[in-house]
Amino acid sequence: MIELLLTPLHYEYMIKAIVVSGVIGGVCGLLSCFVTLKGWSLMGDALSHAIVPGVAVAYLVGLPFALGAFASGLLAAVVMGVVKSKTRIREDAVIGIVFTTFFAAGVLMISLFPSNISLKTIVLGNILGIADSDIIQMLAISAVALLVLVLKWKDLLLFAFDPNQAQSIGLNTTRLNLMLLILLAATAVAALQAVGAVLVIAMLVTPGATAYQLTDRFGRMMLLACGMGIVTSMLGAYISYFLNGSTGGCIVCLQTLVFLMAFFFAPKYGIVAARRKARRTTDALLISGDAHPVPALRGL
Amino acid sequence: MNLSYLIEPFQYRFMVEAMLMAALVGGTCAVLSCYLVLKGWSLMGDAVSHAVLPGIVLAYIVGAPLAVGAFLAGLLCASGTGWITNHSRLKGDAVMGVVFTGLFALGLVMFTKVTTDVHLNHILFGSLLGIERSDMLQAVIAATLTLVILAVVRKDILLYLFDANQARAVGLNTTFLHYLFLALLSLTIVAALQAVGIILTVAMLIVPGCIGLLLSDRFGRMTAIASGAAIFSAIAGTYLSYFLNGETGACIVLTQAIILTLAALFGPKYGILFRARAARRAAAGREQ
Amino acid sequence: MSHGSTKLNKNDISSEIDLHVNEVTVAYNNGHVALFDTTFDLGAGTICALVGVNGSGKSTLFKTIMGFLTPTRGSVTIGGKPVQVAQKQNMVAYIPQAEDVDWAFPVSVMDVVLMGRYGYMNFLRIPRATDLEIAIESLRRVNMLDYKERQIGELSGGQKKRVFLARALAQRGRIVLLDEPFSGVDVQTEAAIIELLRELRADEHLILVSTHDLGLVPSFCDQVVIINRTVLAAGPTHDTFTQENLARAFGGTLRDLRIDHTDAPDGTSNEFRVLSDDEEPLIFGHDGRLVDHWHPGIDEEESK
Ligand SMILES: Nc1ncnc2c1ncn2[C@@H]1O[C@H](COP(=O)(O)OP(=O)(O)O)[C@@H](O)[C@H]1O
Ligand SMILES: [Mg+2]
Repeated sequence: MIELLLTPLHYEYMIKAIVVSGVIGGVCGLLSCFVTLKGWSLMGDALSHAIVPGVAVAYLVGLPFALGAFASGLLAAVVMGVVKSKTRIREDAVIGIVFTTFFAAGVLMISLFPSNISLKTIVLGNILGIADSDIIQMLAISAVALLVLVLKWKDLLLFAFDPNQAQSIGLNTTRLNLMLLILLAATAVAALQAVGAVLVIAMLVTPGATAYQLTDRFGRMMLLACGMGIVTSMLGAYISYFLNGSTGGCIVCLQTLVFLMAFFFAPKYGIVAARRKARRTTDALLISGDAHPVPALRGL
Repeated sequence: MNLSYLIEPFQYRFMVEAMLMAALVGGTCAVLSCYLVLKGWSLMGDAVSHAVLPGIVLAYIVGAPLAVGAFLAGLLCASGTGWITNHSRLKGDAVMGVVFTGLFALGLVMFTKVTTDVHLNHILFGSLLGIERSDMLQAVIAATLTLVILAVVRKDILLYLFDANQARAVGLNTTFLHYLFLALLSLTIVAALQAVGIILTVAMLIVPGCIGLLLSDRFGRMTAIASGAAIFSAIAGTYLSYFLNGETGACIVLTQAIILTLAALFGPKYGILFRARAARRAAAGREQ
Repeated sequence: MSHGSTKLNKNDISSEIDLHVNEVTVAYNNGHVALFDTTFDLGAGTICALVGVNGSGKSTLFKTIMGFLTPTRGSVTIGGKPVQVAQKQNMVAYIPQAEDVDWAFPVSVMDVVLMGRYGYMNFLRIPRATDLEIAIESLRRVNMLDYKERQIGELSGGQKKRVFLARALAQRGRIVLLDEPFSGVDVQTEAAIIELLRELRADEHLILVSTHDLGLVPSFCDQVVIINRTVLAAGPTHDTFTQENLARAFGGTLRDLRIDHTDAPDGTSNEFRVLSDDEEPLIFGHDGRLVDHWHPGIDEEESK
């Protein structure tokens, strides 16, 4: 039995996959706190799709994939900003338009110039077959993102919570906005290989959403989300060995499971706790004297 | 380049069928996209179209029509999101992100465990040019059903989206309308999935509505413009893809995007150029 | 309190729109109890102000009366019938808070007013000649007929309010709920709304207006319900809108000035207290009853 459980660890490619997934899961987990609080879920989804044409171009001309992906993600973000400021279309629709158009462009490019990249790999990820050069790119991106987050999380927090206040104490909110976008694009690029374009948004939302159900303190929320990202990603990669594929699917299934547990059973904000609280408050108010209606109000 | 070369695509039965399918599906998506765009529910189309995956796999396992499974899974995603949002302190968009990716991931894991003759590629990217008879039939039924029901309840749904309290005040059953709308959305997505695949369905559920919004400020006209643009893009995109030899779904979506860009630039009232000119005139007027 | 006490006098013609809010407790899904044990009754021919600080539960109470929230305890009945039944009969019209409306929605003024008629139309909601007539007449009553083809976002704050007022008129609901109708509205519109509400009152409607704009209340409301999570006081304005009740409801958010004139020549106690939210001072005599109030525009001469 133990032997069976240890088999994945005999393979170098499994160890690599588990470690890389853990690193990316951790960074995504940190970032997911900002994404959930700022209401940027759609943005995360958008960027992970918008990098597809960049990946295609990078492969076609032989550049590092991360470079192309990153450039195309940023371009998408800029286009969104322009369209939003110039038209009367709602922000969510603008994001939707831009990312689907970018994605369609990527799909068309790949179908026009068949090469050794498969669309399926981009969309669904393939961390078990990842090349060493890609691992280096991903680790480098993660390290930089981690560094920026550790140094700047307080500024970013204030920006996410109250941009006006951030501006009024002299922070450059345009730069912070851009910083968050760049971080998002960078981690989306890194996560792309692990879980694929479709599931990147889960890595960038679910840990933050779970942690938010569990705590009121932002510092603790970051720790929880980061920890959850690391553990679920490593465990998911490990389990995917036994299920014979879809690492991304396994990781995200685990994350969703943890989220559901938090949703139901979180000590303060869980659904069970909320029901109990409503019952208790009502009882308490009814017992205390003020709860009774002023006698004069009958029969107006 | 002569005429016979240009009309060549129309001589193939599969091309004509593809164009008709794309037009039907695109037109239906366009009508729904008007509601989604107005309500700020763009992510909803995205979410539901991904969430259908486990339904498709399950339907395959039990031998039911794939459309039925997809429909139920889509509905589960939409209603589950609503329920969790109402009962947690999270923003709706975050919950939706969690729920739909959870379902999609579940679908992926299940997919690797059953050997099917359903190709993941077809679900993800559609197969307009090689669409099978039975799939075509399912899509036609789903799209027709959606359009007929929408024609009947369109005003009620519009009122519900605009002002749910008022809808209630005039005695409409808003819960029913809400789920009816989600059901229609799922149904449309099921139809579109066969043609252009999951991810490009999302585009067809957003872009036409925005085209309509840029060119009109009456809902009826907005819907007409949106479906007109979508049908035109469907035919033009499929036609172009024949010559380019590229993905048909992607060509359709890119045609829509080009129309949207034109509308954003040259739209009569809300176009960027029109506004710039109006602003210039106003400035000139002030100087006088 | 038993349900028996809310029984209506069947001979009373107005009883079919009597509003009974009976020991209502409302909890949001996050467990927050926004209203508890809230009880009051109102009848036809009344303009009632619903007063309370922000967050005191005014909108929650409205949503409960509209049936949008279901009480965890207690009940709301209209003419003895549950809310849902009353709504099927188009009895409750509702004017939303301006922030709750999406002004970019592609509908015209006429479309919005016709939405008030949906309950009377067939199930395709195709307006009949009478619906169009009523919509046009309602627009004329609020003086907005010239704007009927405008997109709703292209109106001023006051005009927007009037459009929704016209919708309520078109709906012919005998109970009209207005959530903060005076916020962001110019003085003319304010006066026009009040005038219209008075007409509706004369027409045996029941009007419930939520506001935290205290200065306006005494000038047109005959009943007041003061809430802060529960009813603090309710009754005719003269008895309820007292300095003591307001101080209880608004606590430290109002300025409380004491002006003592006991050294007046006639020697009688002549203490005044002034409560003010910095816009409209309310002046109370020594018995805590309102003696004077001032609101710009509406009744300037009256209160001089
Ligand atoms: N959807 C909601 N979920 C949880 N709490 C809410 C919700 N809406 C309002 N509340 C809370 O209920 C209380 C009453 O709110 P509301 O009725 O809007 O007050 P008012 O209209 O008097 O300003 C407030 O404390 C508010 O925070
Ligand atoms: Mg309110």
